[in-house]
Formats: sequence, C-alpha cells, structure tokens
Amino acid sequence: MSKSKMSNWSLGLAAAAVALTLSANAFAFDAAALKSAPKVQGVGMNITDAAIKPWDISYFYDGTNLPDGKGTVSAGEKIYQEQCAMCHGDFGEGAHGYPKMVGDPVDQFEASAKAGVDAVSNRGLNNTWGNAPTLMDMIHRHMPFYAPGTLTTDEAYSVTCYVMNLASIPGVGDDFVCDKTSLPKIKMPGEPLYVTNSGPDTANQRCMKDCYKGTPFVVEKAASIGNVSVGKVKAKDTQ
Amino acid sequence: MSENMINTVPEGTKKAGEASSDRRKFLRKSVALAAGGAAIAATSAANAGDGLKTWTTPLKNEPTRHMLGRGVVSVPYGLPSKYESGVVRRNVGWLTADTIASISFTPWQDLHGIITPNGLHFERYHAGAVDVDPSKHHLVVHGMVKQPMIFTVDDLKRLPSHTAIHFLECPANGAMEWRGVQMDSLQFTHGMMSCSEWTGVKLTTLMEMVGVDPKATWFYGEGTDGSALQRSVPMEGAVDQHGRPIPPEYTNHYRDAMVCYAQNGEALRPENGYPIRLFIPGFEANISTKYLRRIMFTDKPLVTYQETRHYIEVLPNGMIRQYDLVNEANSVINYPCPDFKLNGKGTYEIRGIAWSGYGKIAHVDVSVDGGKNWKQANLVEPVLNKCVTKFTLPFEWDGEEALIMSRATDETGYVQPTLKQLREVRGFNSIYHKNSIQVWKIEKTGEVKNVQIENV
Repeated sequence: MSKSKMSNWSLGLAAAAVALTLSANAFAFDAAALKSAPKVQGVGMNITDAAIKPWDISYFYDGTNLPDGKGTVSAGEKIYQEQCAMCHGDFGEGAHGYPKMVGDPVDQFEASAKAGVDAVSNRGLNNTWGNAPTLMDMIHRHMPFYAPGTLTTDEAYSVTCYVMNLASIPGVGDDFVCDKTSLPKIKMPGEPLYVTNSGPDTANQRCMKDCYKGTPFVVEKAASIGNVSVGKVKAKDTQ
Repeated sequence: MSENMINTVPEGTKKAGEASSDRRKFLRKSVALAAGGAAIAATSAANAGDGLKTWTTPLKNEPTRHMLGRGVVSVPYGLPSKYESGVVRRNVGWLTADTIASISFTPWQDLHGIITPNGLHFERYHAGAVDVDPSKHHLVVHGMVKQPMIFTVDDLKRLPSHTAIHFLECPANGAMEWRGVQMDSLQFTHGMMSCSEWTGVKLTTLMEMVGVDPKATWFYGEGTDGSALQRSVPMEGAVDQHGRPIPPEYTNHYRDAMVCYAQNGEALRPENGYPIRLFIPGFEANISTKYLRRIMFTDKPLVTYQETRHYIEVLPNGMIRQYDLVNEANSVINYPCPDFKLNGKGTYEIRGIAWSGYGKIAHVDVSVDGGKNWKQANLVEPVLNKCVTKFTLPFEWDGEEALIMSRATDETGYVQPTLKQLREVRGFNSIYHKNSIQVWKIEKTGEVKNVQIENV
C-alpha cells in the first residue's frame, strides 16, 4: 500500500471516530427526523412486492438484486459490434465524443494523476469503475443509448462480459460467463483507488486588508484557443 | 485611505512570459497585472449635473404613443419582450457528444434577482427531456419500509405541502475553467446553477407514511426516463461500500428533501422533471432525480455508474474521491461581467449572487484590486437557507484596469477558496465542485474579461 493510500485510510478512520462521536444512533437514520412529519391517512395505496418487481431494476455494487440469466463474451461481441461500437469504438476506444470502455491501465492512470497530467479523459472500465454488478446495472438500464432498456437480461449480461473482456479486466477471459454469482467476484482494477469524501477540503480565511504582497499573476484566455472557445454571448454597452 | 475606499495607483499591464509549469501549457496568454485602480464607493458627492453632457434636441414621441397595443390573451402564456430575445439558455457544442446527454446554461448575466424564470432554468439530461403523462404516472416508495406504497401525482398534491426557495446546481458548474481560462461569458462559467421556489411533499412525510425501518441508512430515487437515473443519498449512520463513514455534515441534508411538483408556482417544466422530481437542497443536482417514479430505502449505497464513473474526483495523490455531495459556498459578480462593456468611467453598482449548500450566506466581500483589499457587500433580502443571495456594492470606476472579484462566507464559517487553494487540494484532474473565487478584469476600454489569478 502506497503512502498516499495509507494517509487516505487514516483520514477515513479519523472521520469514523468523528461520526461515532457525533451520532448517538450510528448506523441507523435518526428517527427523530420524522417526529415533525404530519400524520396522514387515506392517501395512496399499499403495493405488493410482486407488483413492484418490474420496476425493481437496481443492481447493487455487491451483486444484490442481480437477475437470473447469463451471458458470454462471444455473444456480447456480436451485440456490441451491432449496437454499441458506433459510439464506443470497435475496440472500446470511444468515438464521436462518447465514453471509452478501455482507458489507461490503472497504474498509468494513477501515475498521470500524480504527475498532474490529464487522467480524466482516459477514464475507462479498467481504471474508474469500482464494481462489475454496477456495470451490468448501467448497461441493462441505460443502453443502448438510442434505445435505452431494450436489451434482454442475457444480452445485457453478454455485453457486460464483452466490454470487461475488451478492457482486460483480470479474470474475464474469452470463456468467462457473466451471471449473478460470477459478477460480484470480479476485482475491478480501479477499485482500491476509491476514497470517500470527508467534508470541506479548503480553509480560506476572511482577510480584509493587505491580504498579500506582490503582484497577482493574471492569466487570460489566449486568442488562439480556437474551437475550444465559444467567446462572448454578447458585449453590449451598459445603459 | 478612507475606510470605504480601496484604491491603488495602477501601473498598467506588462508581459510576464508564459506559465512556467509544463503541465499548464495551455492555449492562453499570461500577463502580470499590477493592482488595478478603481474605488469601491464614491468618496464625495458631486453637485447635480456636474461634468455631464447636455441634451438639446427637442424630444419626440415614440411610435407606440399613437397606436393601439395588443389585446388581453393575445399571448395566452406571456413571453418576454421581443427586445429580450437574447436572454436564453445556451449550450456549448463541443462539451458533449450530442444535445441528448448534455447541459445548457442559465443566463445569469441578464437576471436581476435570485429567482430563475422557469424557461431559463439550466437543463441537464442523460437521455433527453421526456413528456410524462401525469394521469398515468406513479411514485413507488419501498425497500426497508413497513408498508410499500404507491402514489398518484394527485395523491402527492393532497398531502401536506412544503415550499422553499433553493438553488439547484450541477457540480460541473465551472468545470471548463479547472485547467485555465476558457469561457468569456458568465453564462458559461456559472450558468449550471439556477434558483427557484420549489413546492412538493417533504420526503419525511412519505417516510412516516411507509414506516421506514430505523436501520435504513441510504435511499435512492429513480426516474422514468431512458436513463432511469438513480443516485444514492446518505442518511444518518451511512457508510460507504467499504464500511467507511459518510461525513455527518452530508447525512442530514435528506431532512429538507422533497418530492416536487411545482417550480416558481407552476407545474414543473418537462426540462426539470415534470410531473414530479426528487429535490435535495444543497446537494449536487445530479442526485435530485427528475421524472421520479421510485424511491427505495436501503442500508447500503448502490454505487451506480453516476457514483463510480461520472461524479468522482481524481485527486493529485492518484485516488478517486466519491460522495462529494454538497455544493460548497460560491459567488460571482454578474454586473459587471464579460457579457457587458462599461460605458465610461463613473458610478456603477457591483451586483452579484452567492450561494452555499451548507446553509445561509453570512457575508460576501468584494475586491477591485485583485484580492489585496476587500469590502463587505450589502446582502439583499431575503437571505435564505441553501438559496441564492443577491449582493450589491457601489463602485466608482476611474477608467483604469481593475480586477474585480467576490468571496462568499456561509453560516458555517466556510470561506469560498481561491483557485490556487482549490488546485492545491484537487489538482488539475478535477471536473466537479469548482467553487473558487471568480476574477473579472475590467480593461481601460470598459471591456470585461474572464481571468484567473494563479499565484494567490
């Protein structure tokens, strides 16, 4: 574990101590929040879980609620080439501004971030994606972009399998079968990099007079920025 | 130097060469600017008419003086004057691959209050705006509850209502400015934020009705559009997928959450989630699901693609930060701004907007000399919780270059950071939550430019 990861873990533990101190009822929401809620009756209907089931389509990061069914890399390749490649690229490299499936390998991604060079435009399943079941959720819910939610469960499992194979996710070989048991076991390469925010991270002071010495270094937009700029909306004289 | 005057002798601009760091080799020019010369507030009152030109041409009637105007309901749903046709939402073509999964910007440079008219509220779609039939639409509340329930839109309107004015801000507001100056318009630097009066049912009312299990620590909403967007919302005791706690300052925002059906007194617009949306004041807008059809209470986050791929921050230490949910204190001067040109020296009023996802705005300070000296601006009532607050300050422009900027402090004591401070902790790989102090440079010509101060 690198030094930076250590320090983030330490921060997490410190935050845990704060949470336990501040919340008398840790690991449960504060029921007092509902005390002022009005008591109402005769509005709405009860509903059965069976009736909700067609809408209960969220697959949690740990695989909870993943559906029955399965998919293969080879079946996924066929669907991907027909329905996905035009936006995400034949090799998952992205196209026409749509997201990449394959980004920089996670080591390179982390090194770029540390070096202060662009890492975010090289996001892909092999760096910024924490859990395979979430990928299945995204694909089954939202893809293909122009006809969202139209893949069958097996098709969605297959596309999930293929794009992970494309991104060289460890363990997802050409013969890998994706289902509700196998997906939660996949270790996504970027997963160890995730940390949880711990509140405000800057501490500016409200200085009012003589706040610094010297000259402000002022950077303007270059005229040569070309198509990156849209320029002014308008510059009208004030009346 | 008097207490109400911040004034220094201008030395003009001089070239200081290119930025030294390789990582900031962006397409831009750099200049060092000496402290600008301009005063906040007039130092002495002039006699009436002193120094002004004189109008001598006899006045003429305008054409409207001798004609009949339009009758009532000639425009059944009123529209702005044809002379205001430039006051519209705009998008930035190169920012997204299409206009379906994209964003548009509110023209704050043309707004005078704290409320965004409904037709100017920024738009953010993941699968486009849809027209949901309210007579066929339902909301399901389920998960860790005693009794799952389903509501029609009319059911929700029958329940005790809650109304409050809050801002709503995409966390990508200002994103194009992380690496350098790109957008010479306030609309594009700060337009991913709007502020409306929202009306609906408090989430806690629905929680009481379904009997939420006290062990629930998260919930999420889901939309009925093509993206079926879902985001995890923490409650007290929430821990992330690794068992690490969500900070306590994030776990009480849900208490103000509501299921909204109205915006500025009328039904939500389709662009903003008609017929109903989730709204969580203070949180990044992506979490306030539009076209809401389902709320589920759970004891863990989903870690959706929005949470693992999109709304994350790649930090300078190589780590990927999740659950940065609150839009922290921010402010900007919307007059003068790059969308206007000053018409000669003399009196102007600096006006701006400030907001914080942690509560009320406590102070806004304004500097016209690049942040060396500051003066507290007047806050215009009302000053509300998690709401845009307007501020004003008289400004005497002497016709010289000036660097004008505003700095908000919220009721928690949090002070809006400088860009340098933000980059020190977030680096250059960030997209979201760029709430740093915005600097505008007034040129001698009266033109106003978007600039960044890199060293302080």
